[in-house]
Amino acid sequence: MSDLYLSRIRNWFLSSPPAEWAINRLRETLIGSLSQGPIPGHVAFEMDGNRRYARSHKIETVEGHHLGFEALARVLEICYKCGVKVVTVYAFSLENFHRPKYEVDGLMQLAKVKLEQLIQHGELLDRYGASVRVLGRLDLIPPDVLEVVERAVAATSHNKTCVLNICFPYTSREEMTTAIRTTVEEYSTTPRPHSTPFSQSRITQKILSKQGDKNESLESIEESPSQPDDNDQDDAVSTATTLHSDPSTQKSEGSENVAIYPNAETITPETIDKHLYTAGCPPLDIFVRTSGVERLSDFMLWQCHQDTHIFFLKCFWPEFDLWHFLPVLVEWQHRQKQKQRDEKPRRVKQA
Amino acid sequence: METNFSKGDANLGEQPRLRKPPHHQHQPDAPAGGDQLLYAMPFSAKDLQRYRKDERFSHRLMTPEERVNLLKPYLPSPPPRDGARRASLSQVSKEERKGKLGVRRFLRRHFHIFVYALIHFYFSIYIRLRQAYHAIGNRFYTVYHHHHHSPELIQRDIKDLGRLPKHLSVILTLEDQGRSGAGLEKLVNEAADIAAWCASAGIDQLSIYERTGILKGYVKETHQTISHRLQTYFGPSFPSVSLGAPHVPPIQSGLLSLSNSPNNESRKTISILLISAEDGRDSIVDLTKTLAEMSQRKKLQAADITTELVDAELSESIMEEPDLLVLFSPHVELAGYPPWQIRLTEIFHVPDNQGVGYQVFYRAMCRFSKAQMRMGR
Repeated sequence: MSDLYLSRIRNWFLSSPPAEWAINRLRETLIGSLSQGPIPGHVAFEMDGNRRYARSHKIETVEGHHLGFEALARVLEICYKCGVKVVTVYAFSLENFHRPKYEVDGLMQLAKVKLEQLIQHGELLDRYGASVRVLGRLDLIPPDVLEVVERAVAATSHNKTCVLNICFPYTSREEMTTAIRTTVEEYSTTPRPHSTPFSQSRITQKILSKQGDKNESLESIEESPSQPDDNDQDDAVSTATTLHSDPSTQKSEGSENVAIYPNAETITPETIDKHLYTAGCPPLDIFVRTSGVERLSDFMLWQCHQDTHIFFLKCFWPEFDLWHFLPVLVEWQHRQKQKQRDEKPRRVKQA
Repeated sequence: METNFSKGDANLGEQPRLRKPPHHQHQPDAPAGGDQLLYAMPFSAKDLQRYRKDERFSHRLMTPEERVNLLKPYLPSPPPRDGARRASLSQVSKEERKGKLGVRRFLRRHFHIFVYALIHFYFSIYIRLRQAYHAIGNRFYTVYHHHHHSPELIQRDIKDLGRLPKHLSVILTLEDQGRSGAGLEKLVNEAADIAAWCASAGIDQLSIYERTGILKGYVKETHQTISHRLQTYFGPSFPSVSLGAPHVPPIQSGLLSLSNSPNNESRKTISILLISAEDGRDSIVDLTKTLAEMSQRKKLQAADITTELVDAELSESIMEEPDLLVLFSPHVELAGYPPWQIRLTEIFHVPDNQGVGYQVFYRAMCRFSKAQMRMGR
């Protein structure tokens, strides 16, 4: 009984205007101070624990997701005030489609309503200079929600200061596969020679008709090595020996243009980077997962497996606030400073 | 509105200059008890209640204008171009404001730098204390749970755990860039220790990740060391070792000892895989190259490239997804570990841990037996 009274008194005190004012001053000061140090360029949040929070507080699951959205708004405010350029959040996994239908629908409706509001108050987001991007399999979003998503993305696309990436139906493996697929597509479609009124086939025909027999002999020399080569390639499955274009496509596409493919050997990790959903974002500095689960769960695998600092926090996502994010940020800054300190003597030694 | 801290302010900062505090101010380092969600919001409680009530009625209670008014006090000041336009209207007030603001901004900036220095000063003390605390704890664990090179003791530790990983993966780091042989020797010894623990616990698949891949150049020597280590643990009927790497045929051990060991039927085999950074991104890039060439030769449609195809290729040529990844580093950093394969892998680390130790292995096993998989459901 006395506990209840105490917590009531505490709540009353904390919600009183002077206490609120003081806490807000404190927040502003902390955020302002931290932005004096190194600031991560890209932070990813895996918003885990909404349902478990709801269960432990005996509220409905959808209600838990609503509180999770409030936490997201809070975190975004902190990040953007600190000067973080890109925030990526995991809102919905492809695996989440296996959840009960009413929950999936609830999440979709939540997304729809929030994005609709965002469009209504477009100018509010402009103040942060934030643009919204939705990453993932957009084709799996229900059409009514997709329409809102597209409008929201279009309404904020002119903002350049910072980016909010919402991973909507997303898994990292799907992202990597898509990146591989689009890279392959790019490397197997010929960049069309800029359209000229001159037809290449006509020119070749003219040359052929003029030079007649001389050229035929030349051509036979040229083509003869390419045909056995072609057969060899059919047998060898994964050798990376062909550096030149393939003559067989020339035949299939007709004589209109010569298929010169970009060399597949020039594909680098950066090429894949460019085809990921997060193309153009700075490298991921901090990865935060809440609710004490120590797995990546198919989120940002390609982006975070190198030197990203990964933090697994115990709290549930709806509880997440400055007081949880602050230690993460300070520890990251501390490690950055240590890294710099370690690198300095090494550089001196090498010199 | 102007007194709000805006981002333009923050970006002014060059390197923070550390100043000796002129006098001691209250330190805002310790977080106030903000576990109560409601009152930790930047919103005031009254506004939050209004917002939630509106939300409960699916946002039909308030008009958009009302909602804007509700939010306005919490937003940062509008972008500078608006400010400039306003200022040009009244020249006098602009100069007035500028003077005032300049001083205020200057003071605020220095106050922030001061607080920043203070936070980091206290944080570095805190982190030293934490490291010391963890070091003592880890020391205690090391003494309490020591394997004494005996598989029976390890089995006794593991016995009560509900489930074990089928495929364990560890990340090791090479010290001093392998310039001297000491780093390599330490690495081989660590690999041998871990292999012996796994064999004792009954885990028959182990993959050892090391960024540079130096171990791949010493497969034979590593294999020998591991076999010797297993012999010291298990005695004459030690389990056989198959040590390999992606694209390298594994070395199978103990063909000689197979004949003279009495119960070679029950002899277990532990298969160990050495992986490095080139099996991560580079392998995916190589796969893309192959697929691009196949597509150029019209042997493959781009639509054929599915997650299943990529998964099958990568798990066949590199390795399958491990169940548990154990880090021996003080914090979680994956150092280039193959990205495709860590999708659902449980990642275990001991905060502020230094070096490879049995206690980390044991605690990882304990943790793994308690973790539950939900698969997004």
